Order: sequence, then structure tokens, then C-alpha cells
Amino acid sequence: MAILSINNLTKNYRSIRALDNVSFEVPPKTVFGILGPNGSGKTTLLGIVMDILKPTNGSFKWAGEQSSDELRKQIGTLLETPNFYHYLSGEDNLRIAARIKGKGEDDIPKVLKTVNLYERRKSKFNSYSLGMKQRLAIASTLLGDPGILVFDEPTNGLDPAGIAEIRELIKELNRQGKTIIMASHILDEVEKVCTHVAIIQKGVLKTVGSVHEIMHTSGTQNVTSLLIELGAADNGLLKNILQGMSGLESVAETDNGIEIICPENITPEQVNSYCFEKGVVLNKLNVKRKSLETRFLEITGKQSDR
Amino acid sequence: MFNLFKIEWLKIKTYRTFWILFAGFLIFFPAGFYLMAYKYMERMSNAKSMEENLLKALLDAPFVFPKVWHAAAWTGGMFFVLMGMLFILLITNEVQYRTHRQNIIDGWSRMDFLKAKLSIMVFFVLVSTVLVFIMGLIVGSQFSPAGASMFDGVHFVGYFALMATVYLMLAFLVGILIKRTGLSIIIYFAIVCIVDNVLWLVFTLRDSQLGYYMPLEAVDSLVTNPFKPKIMERRTVADYTLIIAAGIYISAYVYIIINYFRKTDLKT
Repeated sequence: MAILSINNLTKNYRSIRALDNVSFEVPPKTVFGILGPNGSGKTTLLGIVMDILKPTNGSFKWAGEQSSDELRKQIGTLLETPNFYHYLSGEDNLRIAARIKGKGEDDIPKVLKTVNLYERRKSKFNSYSLGMKQRLAIASTLLGDPGILVFDEPTNGLDPAGIAEIRELIKELNRQGKTIIMASHILDEVEKVCTHVAIIQKGVLKTVGSVHEIMHTSGTQNVTSLLIELGAADNGLLKNILQGMSGLESVAETDNGIEIICPENITPEQVNSYCFEKGVVLNKLNVKRKSLETRFLEITGKQSDR
Repeated sequence: MFNLFKIEWLKIKTYRTFWILFAGFLIFFPAGFYLMAYKYMERMSNAKSMEENLLKALLDAPFVFPKVWHAAAWTGGMFFVLMGMLFILLITNEVQYRTHRQNIIDGWSRMDFLKAKLSIMVFFVLVSTVLVFIMGLIVGSQFSPAGASMFDGVHFVGYFALMATVYLMLAFLVGILIKRTGLSIIIYFAIVCIVDNVLWLVFTLRDSQLGYYMPLEAVDSLVTNPFKPKIMERRTVADYTLIIAAGIYISAYVYIIINYFRKTDLKT
């Protein structure tokens, strides 16, 4: 049974349609990413399923039940920005959250240590840096050991070490059997951590499925694609001769040289010898699996939403 | 609801602004009332009028039994505006800092949030009513001549509780709807000090008793200024009608608050 099922969810803000008939299901024990450019409706969607916002139309169910407050007590959520009482310490803020949930008060020292905030637990929230505020919010989601976690841009404000820690934390939580729903626009992170993904743009669901499916689907073809970076002394000439090579999906000039996308049956050796035959000696040949970023930009186009 | 109150108490027990305003009321109302009583009674006893007049005035003085209950309730009402402001602050803070969202995300229902705030309101009404009663008792016992009927007129303490409830319910409504701290307080004061009195004036000048049924005027008229001579009193409608009106207003505020908060998006 799906952990979360969303049915034709629509949300209008006066004339702006933030969500347009979005439907999908989150399978249990997955790390489910919700990707989209800025303004695509990710936070609106999470706001609706957490009962912060009221939908204009449509419905959703957590674990088959029409959303109830008891259920929200079993979900650890971080939505948009950390919202805590400024004049209270980190510890006291967690105490209030635990009391509302009705459990987890004993977990407070443990979760603070997990996010490296234990030393500053008695400092007032308004003395925390942005990264510390974010980490307190993450600590709050862990109270009571919930089976479901919802993270909206969890790495916001964190330094690289923090980002890596959160990545490991999410993986560990998933290993423990928890379902994690994560909204993000940092595709690199999503690719490293998520098992499934839904891509949303301008409130419309563009695609949904496992990360593997999405990365290896090009339009309607079920073909695994490669992305190869090449470089030569004369990149212009290299681009011209590559455009003449058959079987390539695309040839593009970038800051790093030339990027080609081709199906897996074309090998780097083939590309290398083709260039050499045409009189161009490569000084760079770098094979990358087609990344989620490329697929994402293919699906959503290259412009951020307003 | 007591569990909700305990969580609310966790929120405010270390909040300095809460203690400043709350202690302000707890200290300044009793101190102010006692001082007023002391000065008044001192002046009375120094008066050079005839003994009979003096006795008559003394028996009707606002600071002796039984009229002290009326005076305590009215004075409490004057200071109570501090509590109204405090209550607005507690509500608008939650909206400004978006902690009301966090409470819901963590598992409270919209009704839970409202009930939690209601529990604080009840706490304020109880504490201030008990204080009014205690002050009435202290001042009355201090300044009354022997034989004065002690608990005649104690119903004014009940009127105070009703007045406190109406004032805080209005603060609740203003805070929930307006959401911004500064603007809410300004609008609250505008209603309390200006709007309500203007409405009363408009009706009363037309020789209508309707002015006494205006939202705040209804409870204000139950506990009138004890220093104003009775002759100037223009109200002819009975007390119980005002109590019913107050009850209707409280129900209306509750209805609007619940309906609004249940359906709204929780944003700043």
C-alpha cells in the first residue's frame, strides 16, 4: 500500500495555478524525491499533504487513511524554513515538538548529537547560524523515531560537510526501513540518494518513476544513453566532424569542450577512432553516465520558473 | 485541554515579554487600586462636612463594602487592557514566526491550536478574576466600618469575569484575523477606545438604548464607573439583557475564529 497517494491535487492562489491536477503514489521504504525548478509547486504540494495549506481541489491519503492529525504525529517533517521559538533554546524547542507529538522527549539528546548540535543545545534559537537552525529542524523530524520523513530542501544552508552528513543520514534512515519524501532542486544530491523521483514544473507533473527508469529513458525510447565529454585543440573542428558521425543523439559545445549524447551501443573507442580518422586528435575523452541533471533539463527546459 | 495548556505554558514560561506584561497587571492593578482607596478614604475622613453627610458618603464610598466589589471590578477592567495586549502578542507571535505551522506539522489539529490558545485565555480570566476578588476583600476589609454587608454586590466580580472574557475573545479575533502584531494592537485599541464609544454615542444621542448592546459597551455597562454619580446613568435596560448580549457576542467571535482558522492557508 502506498505510503502517500495524491489524487488530482490542484491549488490556485487567485489567478496563479500553483498545482495542476497532480497525482502520484509514494511506495513504502523508498527515498522519493520531488524535483522541480524554483516555483514549480514542490513546497505547495508538501504544504497541502501536511495540512498547512488547503487544496482548491483533489485529495490525498497517508497510508490509505484520509489525513488525520494522529498520522502527522507519526511523520517527521521539515517544511520550507525552520520554524521555532526564537527566545527558547534548541533543547526547549524540541521539547515542545515532542510534547505535541506525544512522544520522543527521551530522544532529544540523541537527535541533537546526530545533527551535531548537542553542545549548543542550551543556546537560544535566535543565536543559531543558518546551518544550525536547519540542523535543529532536522533533529526535530527525528523525534519519536517516525517511520515516515518529509524533507523540504534539507540541505539548505548547510556547508559541504553538513550536506554529506545529511546524505548519509538519509541513506541510513532508509536502510532502517523508513520512507523518505524529499523535495529538492539539487539534482546531484537527489541522484545520489533517491530511489524514486517525481518531476514537477509549473505545477504540472512531468514524469514519475524510479530514478533508474527516468535516467535511462530518452523521450519514448527505453534506451540507455551515455554522455561523453571530448576536447581537442580545435573544438570547432571537432564539433563539425562529430555532427557528421551517425548514431549520435546530440552534439553540443560547452565550457568544458564538446558534449555528445549517444546510445550505449556506441563505444568510446569508436568515437576515438572516428575522430582520429577524420584528422582530429583528442586531448580529452571522458565518459559519464547520462546524469539526472541532463534528463531533468531535458524534461523541464533550461529556464527557472518565475 | 489541560495538556494543551501545559504545552502553551512551556512556550511562555521563559518568555520575558510575557512576564513583564503579566507581572505588570499583577502588580499595578492591586497597587493602583489600594493606593486609590487609601487616598480617597483619607480625603473623606479629612472632610469638614457634617457628620451625617460624611457617614452617608462613607457608606456609599466605592472602597467599602458592598460597593468595593463594583470598584474593584471596574478598576481591574481599566488595567485589563494590558492582558488584552499580551494575548494579542502571544497569538500574533505564533503567526509572525510561523510556529503555528510547526505546531500543526508536528501533529496538532487546527482545533487543538485554537483550544490551546483558549486555555491560556481561561487562565488569564481566572487569575485576574481571583485577583479582583482578593483586592475587593482586602480593601473592603481595610476601609469598611463594622457591620457593613460583606458579600452584597459580589456579583460584580462575576461581571468582571464576563468582561474579561469578552475583551480577550475580541483580542483573539483581532489577532487571528489581522496577524501582524503592531497592526493588531492598534486596531484593538481603536475598537476598545474609539469605535465602541462612538457607536454608543450615536445610539444614545438618538435616545435609543441600543447603544448599550454594542459589543464592548454591553459588558462595560455592567461594570460602570463607580465614581460617576448615579444620576448621570442613562441606561434603563436590565442587566440580564446585557449578559445575554455578551454571550451572543462571545459565541459570534468563537464561530468566526473557528471557521476562519479551519479553512485558511497557514502563511504569515
